Amino acid sequence: MSGANTSAKDQITTSQAAVLLINYTLGAGILTLPRTTVEAAQTPDVWISTIIAGMIITVAGLIVVLLCRRFQGKTMFQFVPDITGKWLAWILSLTVIAFFLFTSALQIRIMAEVTGFYLLEGTPVWAIVMSFMWIGLYLTLGGMNCMARMYELILPITLVFFLVSILLSSKIFDIDHFKPVLGSGILPVIKGIKPVLLPFTGYEIMLVAIAYMKTPKKAVKALLAGTIVPLIIYLTTILMVIGGLSIYGVRTRIWPTLDLLRSFEIQGLIFERFESLLLVIWLMQIFSTFTIAHYVASLGWSQLFKKNIKIFLFAMLPIIYLIAMLPKNVTEIFKLGDIAGNVSLYLFGGIPLLLLLLSIARKKGVNPN
Amino acid sequence: MIKYVRRFLLAAASLLLVMTTGCWSGNEIEDVTVSVGMGLDVAKESQFEKEINEQGAHYPKENVLTATIQIVPPMSGKKGGKGGGSNSSTSPEKKYLNEQLTGDSVFQIIRQFALRRDRPIMGHHLKVIVVAKELAQKYSLELLFDFILRDNEIRPSCLVVISHRSALEALSSEEPGEIPAFYLLGLVDNRYRSNKILPPMTLIKLDSDMQSGASFLLQNVVTAKNEHKFSGAAIIKGDTKKWIGELSQYDIEGVSWIKGDVVGGTLKTYAPRGNYTVTYEPISSKASIIPKVSGDDISFHIKIKSEGRLIEDWSFPEVPSSTHYIDELEEKFEKEVKEQISQVLHKMQKVYHVDVGGFGEQLRFKYPKQWRKVQENWEDIFTHVPITYDVSMRIKDYGSSTD
Repeated sequence: MSGANTSAKDQITTSQAAVLLINYTLGAGILTLPRTTVEAAQTPDVWISTIIAGMIITVAGLIVVLLCRRFQGKTMFQFVPDITGKWLAWILSLTVIAFFLFTSALQIRIMAEVTGFYLLEGTPVWAIVMSFMWIGLYLTLGGMNCMARMYELILPITLVFFLVSILLSSKIFDIDHFKPVLGSGILPVIKGIKPVLLPFTGYEIMLVAIAYMKTPKKAVKALLAGTIVPLIIYLTTILMVIGGLSIYGVRTRIWPTLDLLRSFEIQGLIFERFESLLLVIWLMQIFSTFTIAHYVASLGWSQLFKKNIKIFLFAMLPIIYLIAMLPKNVTEIFKLGDIAGNVSLYLFGGIPLLLLLLSIARKKGVNPN
Repeated sequence: MIKYVRRFLLAAASLLLVMTTGCWSGNEIEDVTVSVGMGLDVAKESQFEKEINEQGAHYPKENVLTATIQIVPPMSGKKGGKGGGSNSSTSPEKKYLNEQLTGDSVFQIIRQFALRRDRPIMGHHLKVIVVAKELAQKYSLELLFDFILRDNEIRPSCLVVISHRSALEALSSEEPGEIPAFYLLGLVDNRYRSNKILPPMTLIKLDSDMQSGASFLLQNVVTAKNEHKFSGAAIIKGDTKKWIGELSQYDIEGVSWIKGDVVGGTLKTYAPRGNYTVTYEPISSKASIIPKVSGDDISFHIKIKSEGRLIEDWSFPEVPSSTHYIDELEEKFEKEVKEQISQVLHKMQKVYHVDVGGFGEQLRFKYPKQWRKVQENWEDIFTHVPITYDVSMRIKDYGSSTD
């Protein structure tokens, strides 16, 4: 058994692919998103930026889908050598693997920071992180299909709890916090796009996921569903957080989304406070982003060396842990997050288009139509 | 071999289950002290502190502020104990304890309580923070609240009020069984009965108001003989975040008319003929501040509309509620509201030079470009801005009496 090729059994349906994409996109970024966008734009118009970012992501995702559909049943680690030749492909693949490792590590670290501060003060970081990673390993050892099924379970729970708890903040929502619309013109809106793009990039997972799909023709459907759902979630978050805290309040809060939930108490429901609930539920989303990134990075190694993926799944764990522990403080974590985000913009925004054009020019792959 | 490994793993797993029951760093509720209120006063060492300082229990600090922590003792069933209790601030009926310490760092003061109480103080359930006017006059609120806004225990939903006298007094009560922190919190909910209460200022709102740079109001608490009352509001200047003055109850009514958030309360005036008491109960109110800009000249017009009920009429003999009579009364009520507004506007523009009515905000909404020009010294400009207003009060019914 090589494990390098996607075996016939390890396949996912179209809806599973969409769920995979949603779960990978939604991660720790949502906790800081309102602040990063408001910091960049300095106006409450960032909700417009969010919508524009959603459109940009859809276009970038479509390019990836078009590229992947020329190479059915192959992941990017397998088809890139056909387009660019071996050496360039290796460099590219290694960069992609490094990116996924960093993504995975960042999720772990932000998770550790937030739970360490709000939930489990006093519990050592390694205890939080290691249990998280081992359970992740248990999941990833099951393969893509196993993961996809798990995410199908997670997604509805997290979305429902998230929406309910964030919509409860309508108690402190004030529409005045959005006025004046476009008061400083369109420029701040454009400045606000980039910070939204960072937590929004998730379509890169399609470079791998399409190879697992039973019907790759429907990849576009999965992509659209996979961008619309995060768009709705991000838009709701930004609207509710700014509506609740105003841009002045958002700017000074490290985790504005959690602070929104800390800013009100509901009397009469079973729970009065929702921040712990949201955090606990949202841990599942962070978990899924972490596991997917972990799996894809290991898959990359296994397909490069044509070895069984299990070795790499184990081998990547300590590496992810070490990367996660690298930043010395919160500022460094966010800096690393920015770097990873910037890299992904170039890596998955520009290169797939180049690869697509190159593959058409060199007549590699099959035209899906 | 494989069997052996399996057994080992199974044993390890079950061992893990036994070891990981419960929380790693959990604190049992019986082992912590819940603080429900916090008061910040100018430094005034208590008798206790003076005595322990004589014994050398001093650490390097300056006496900047005295923090009061209101705690609810976990043991409430210890009524009529052995009587020898030396703690002077607890009587058997009291359900709370006020503890005071002095220092120059809010966090250090709070942690200093660890030297005094066996059960550590936990801030998760802090409901009210009272700042003494005198302290807010000396120090910017941004400094006083820095720790509180950073802390992971204190929730941003905590209520903030200013006390006219000391915060300790505002957090004390003689009434048996009453917890002053909860009492203050409960008063805010009475907004539907009185338009003299400001919308609750939570920590997060305080933070965003401070960050926005505009001046704002904080609910004021006055105390006498260990009883308190919400009365008026403290004005916090936007650029210094310091206390600069007070608005009276009557002014607050004016502010709530301007802001259009009257959801209850009373409006009393005297009838045009006979000069007897008549009272109106507002049911709803709407207000819009309309900024007007022509060239560099800024002016505002306030439109206020309210519907309500004639709830008290001291006419004797009773005057029947004819349309004419009601019209007369409506006019009189309108005059009263105008009076309230003109008084509070005078205080804002001429006395304190602050804009706490949301005028700058409306200008920013409608004329963002103009706003950017005047933003820097808005409050200076605001003092000369002409403001006009028209008020329309409509009496919809007269309660259950016909006349």
